[in-house]
Amino acid sequence: MKILVCVKQVPDMDSRFRPNAAGVWFDEADLDWRINEYDEYAVEQALQLKEQLWEAPEVTILSIGPDRVLEVIRKALAMGCDRGVHILDPEISMKDPWQVAGIIATYAGEEGFDLVFTGMQSQDRGSAQVGVLAAEMLGIPCVTTLVGFSFDDGVITARRELEGGTRGVVRLSPPVFFTCQSGLNFPRYPTLPNILKSKKKEIRTIQVEDLPASAPLSVTTGFYPPAKKGSGIVLEGELNGLADRLMEILRGKCAAVRL
Amino acid sequence: MVAAREIYWNVGHEVIVPIYLFGLFAMAVSAWGFYRRIRVYRLGRPLDRFDRISLRITLMLKNMLTQCKVLREPGPGALHALFFWGFGLLFIGSLLIMVQADFLDPLFHLRFLTGGFYKLFSLLLDIAGGVAIVVLSGLLARRFIIKPVGLQTDREDYLIHTLLFSILITGFLVEGTRMASTEIGINPGLASFSPIGLGMGRLFLALSSIRLALVHRILWWLHFFLAMGFIALIPFTKLRHIFTIPANYLFTDLGPKGAIAAIDLEDESITQFGAARVADLSWKDIFDTDACTSCMRCQDQCPAWNTDKPLSPMKVIQQIGESAFGESGTGLVGLVGVDAIWSCTTCRACQDICPADIEHVNKILEMRRNLVLMEGAFPDNAVRTAFENLEVNANPFGLAHAGRGDWAEGLKISIMAIDADVEVLYFAGCYASFDRRNREVARSFVRICNAAGVKVSILGKEEKCCGEPPRKLGNEYLYQMTASQNIELIKGYGVQRIVTTCPHCYNTLGRDYRDLGLDVPVEHYTTFIAGLLSGGRLTLEPARFDFTYHDSCYLGRYMDIIAAPRQVMEQAGGRLTEMKKSGYGSFCCGAGGGRILAEEKLGSRINAARVEMAKETGAPLLVSNCPFCLTMFEDGIKTGGYEEELKVKDLAEIVAERIRMKSEG
Amino acid sequence: MRSGAAMKVLLIGEFREGKLLDSTYELIGFAALLGADMAMFLVGSDYRLPDWGGRLYLADAGKYGEYNPDLHKELILAAVRQEQPDYIVFSHSSYGWDLAPRVAASLRIAQVSEVVALAVEGFEVGCCNSRMRRTVKPATVQAVLTIQAGTFAPLKPGGTPQVEQLETTGKSGLEFVGYEPAEMKEVDLGRAEVIVSAGRGVGKKENITLITALAKALGGEVGATRPVVDAGWIEHSRQVGATGQTVAPGLYLACGISGAIQHLAGMKKSGFIIAINKDRDAPIGEVADVLVLADVVQLLQALIDRLKKTTASS
Repeated sequence: MKILVCVKQVPDMDSRFRPNAAGVWFDEADLDWRINEYDEYAVEQALQLKEQLWEAPEVTILSIGPDRVLEVIRKALAMGCDRGVHILDPEISMKDPWQVAGIIATYAGEEGFDLVFTGMQSQDRGSAQVGVLAAEMLGIPCVTTLVGFSFDDGVITARRELEGGTRGVVRLSPPVFFTCQSGLNFPRYPTLPNILKSKKKEIRTIQVEDLPASAPLSVTTGFYPPAKKGSGIVLEGELNGLADRLMEILRGKCAAVRL
Repeated sequence: MVAAREIYWNVGHEVIVPIYLFGLFAMAVSAWGFYRRIRVYRLGRPLDRFDRISLRITLMLKNMLTQCKVLREPGPGALHALFFWGFGLLFIGSLLIMVQADFLDPLFHLRFLTGGFYKLFSLLLDIAGGVAIVVLSGLLARRFIIKPVGLQTDREDYLIHTLLFSILITGFLVEGTRMASTEIGINPGLASFSPIGLGMGRLFLALSSIRLALVHRILWWLHFFLAMGFIALIPFTKLRHIFTIPANYLFTDLGPKGAIAAIDLEDESITQFGAARVADLSWKDIFDTDACTSCMRCQDQCPAWNTDKPLSPMKVIQQIGESAFGESGTGLVGLVGVDAIWSCTTCRACQDICPADIEHVNKILEMRRNLVLMEGAFPDNAVRTAFENLEVNANPFGLAHAGRGDWAEGLKISIMAIDADVEVLYFAGCYASFDRRNREVARSFVRICNAAGVKVSILGKEEKCCGEPPRKLGNEYLYQMTASQNIELIKGYGVQRIVTTCPHCYNTLGRDYRDLGLDVPVEHYTTFIAGLLSGGRLTLEPARFDFTYHDSCYLGRYMDIIAAPRQVMEQAGGRLTEMKKSGYGSFCCGAGGGRILAEEKLGSRINAARVEMAKETGAPLLVSNCPFCLTMFEDGIKTGGYEEELKVKDLAEIVAERIRMKSEG
Repeated sequence: MRSGAAMKVLLIGEFREGKLLDSTYELIGFAALLGADMAMFLVGSDYRLPDWGGRLYLADAGKYGEYNPDLHKELILAAVRQEQPDYIVFSHSSYGWDLAPRVAASLRIAQVSEVVALAVEGFEVGCCNSRMRRTVKPATVQAVLTIQAGTFAPLKPGGTPQVEQLETTGKSGLEFVGYEPAEMKEVDLGRAEVIVSAGRGVGKKENITLITALAKALGGEVGATRPVVDAGWIEHSRQVGATGQTVAPGLYLACGISGAIQHLAGMKKSGFIIAINKDRDAPIGEVADVLVLADVVQLLQALIDRLKKTTASS
């Protein structure tokens, strides 16, 4: 069985984001990078399935971007993936979901994977499109928002998370494309033997120019902090003063305080 | 009258044959007992503790003969020391008798146990024996009547007390019966030099000489066989410490305190990181368990044990011993328990007080390495999150690394990237860089440097966590990754001197980083400030304050810096009231061993216990020298509700408040 | 976008467990904002038609299933062929984000996800955990849009739709087995008048006791964000947000909560929102009536102390 996991490298969400020179995305200077949180669940699910099937499946980890994304590929290899694929594209952050999905579909289409896992969205762009688009391009079924997964003799029972905490239960067989949601599993911490083993694993580099390109279907024209609604007030200063002020407010808003 | 005695009086020289045969037999049994144990020590990994042999022998003799480590605990320590010296003298006495009676006299007709020397000899041995009996009674009373809490007493202890008493008492009885026949009333000048024997002897004067001779012979053989039994029993009981503890002194760790082997990550032959089974520990680790006499001192000092956590350093050593010598195939983790393993703060109080020179801490660290590196297991999620933050942001808080130097904005200090031509690199560390309270310490330190005219820079956003907390939690890989990046940076700037306000960074950069190639001298700001003051570069305007002082573990026990900070505080105008547990006996704040990153879920709070001790002194101010301690104490004061009665400040803040500015020309 | 003619939109309504979801009316409200001619698509039932008098392309949920993306996609494409809308608008829900890209892919048209506002040219969406905004412009003639739940005011114009039945013979790649209800909620936060909620900013599990103490002192309930629940600091029944409970108490105290969109969705309709956070730029600031910049733990402690004193003296 061949499993593909697609991961994205995103900046740490606690960073201070500033628009880049073109004003259409964030400036990359001085950012801390990490693996997209939703993609971690994807990696973990693939590895759990691999373990369940006595290590038979081969798990490939794919990421698109400049050289720095090798770090997330290596992290996934250290968690236990078998081989890595780096599609070298320094301009990836300028591409829209359609183009990204096209790159993934082109690569995956040639390899013939039985299962593909990825996160349901990225923490930075958050369009939640790439996974579903790629599945459509590949012509394989797609299940999004995965929070439960079980594999039994070739049949997968998947649980999707719906509003209010209800789950939608689906059954299907490979090939399938999954997008994963938080709560699906607890990603493992790489053990040192696995980290050291991963240094020997193959990472294949593909130049994005060698893949057929597609035109973007949408264009980002601005990137900026949200306008302050202005209706709220901001209180700051010394702790005790703040606490007193807050007590005044609570007295006005909370019956229990007035008693 | 001749001041000598006839050795083998009444029993006859012929006994030489059987006594040597029995003696050799007893020693053979003992040797065999030890041989069996040596085979178990050798289950452990190799370790070189045989280098600098003359230094080792010197240390062994010093520690053994002066009993200095035993005397760290004054009460029972004095009892044991006296017993050791007493029994030791008696043993030497017996050896001297054997040398004269079995070799020098029959072969060369040489006798030295005569005259004045023999009188001194007799007196000394009588006193030694008498003291030994008194002291042994004291120890017996402590163990069996007073019964200190937690002291384990079992059958072996009954046996050993009985054996030692009977050896001593029969010894005096033999002397008494002999003196009753050969000295009392016959050679009173000599007899008075064996006062106890004299007293004993008087009891037997009523017996007829034939009866007396018989009683003497019986007692002589009894004493002999008890002594042989003692020799044979040594390796099979706690008595083995007679050899294992001096041997432990011999095999002591001559490296810097707190050093632990850096795992060679390039070595592809290593399949097991850390210790999962006894065989993963070194032979010395296993040997340590044989040096332990369950004296409980380590447990009594342990901050985890004293706050109801399941960690007892003594039990850990015993459990490792059980695993090594026992039948059970249980791994170390199952035997010791993860809660105990994670509860350690690496404060080193156990090792510091241990009279047997046992190395507790690194065994726990090796077990942690196994948990983290082989199983990806952590004490809680907070630690896991901190590790991930360290990987992504180079600090455990998950704050953007780009903001690491922001605390220095507006201060007269540059960053190395702009100005590397400085006297000192100030390695601020994660807490001073990001934690609101600890930034005050960093700012105070800069003010002090400015006043002293010391040109200093920081690494700012290039600085990464020194790696100590992950290292102490067992994550050697994360430690080496962050450390090697720091080292490359520091070397790249050609740094000549590093000062830090954190004892953990101090230990790590100053000691641990040596193994990874950093050779720059590192100082802690307390001695650095002391140097500025004594060198006249800094002068203080003393303003009187009453305070108590907390010796942090990593500055006191690890680095022996105890007096210098006190002197600095004195120069600042401080009047110190010491806590009961201070100096080398200081009680941990609870944050060491990487526990600053973890949640304290078991037992009661260590920091609360220490804050109570500070409060007891009545001083309104607690002074500390470590960002972890400062954080713990601020927390402990708040939790206890003591904000009105007790404040905590860092030494740097006190000094910065009292700088006497040099008047301009 | 055709020039000279009014914009046309096809709204994709949602039907679940036999009911028409209210989010459907948000779609109508959004379309009204655009000033567009609207048609609607729904896989639902004749018995539960929307309160709206427009053209409804209806497929039978009994026949095609409430959830069946492949078949629903085919049905939508059929409606699109007939209607030729400029925009196909979904709610950015577990149904919408699952289905919209399939439609966009089949038509090779742009999709703009989770629209929060209209822009001069294009649409404004959130990004970077709601801390920032982007303006996105479709480069294709038609486009798929998904709109953020709870952002656009719902509109219920009333009336009865003109129904056009849709059928398809497409094949499904999966089998929809059914729904599993969420765990029993021991706590109904929906009834609470005051909620004190914990976010990751409270630091560690032990600090939850401060949240509980404050909630008790204010006579309210304890809530939490998803990360706090996922970390095991508090039970799931207290989760407030898109996948937890939606609440609207008179007073909501967000402690150490950054304001990720999933959480805001669950509480932004609260009467009065006070946020305590160290970060001036935290997205929670947009919905908060009062943003207090302080260390969460310290401020909570200070509040609890003061509240203790007031009850002691009363």
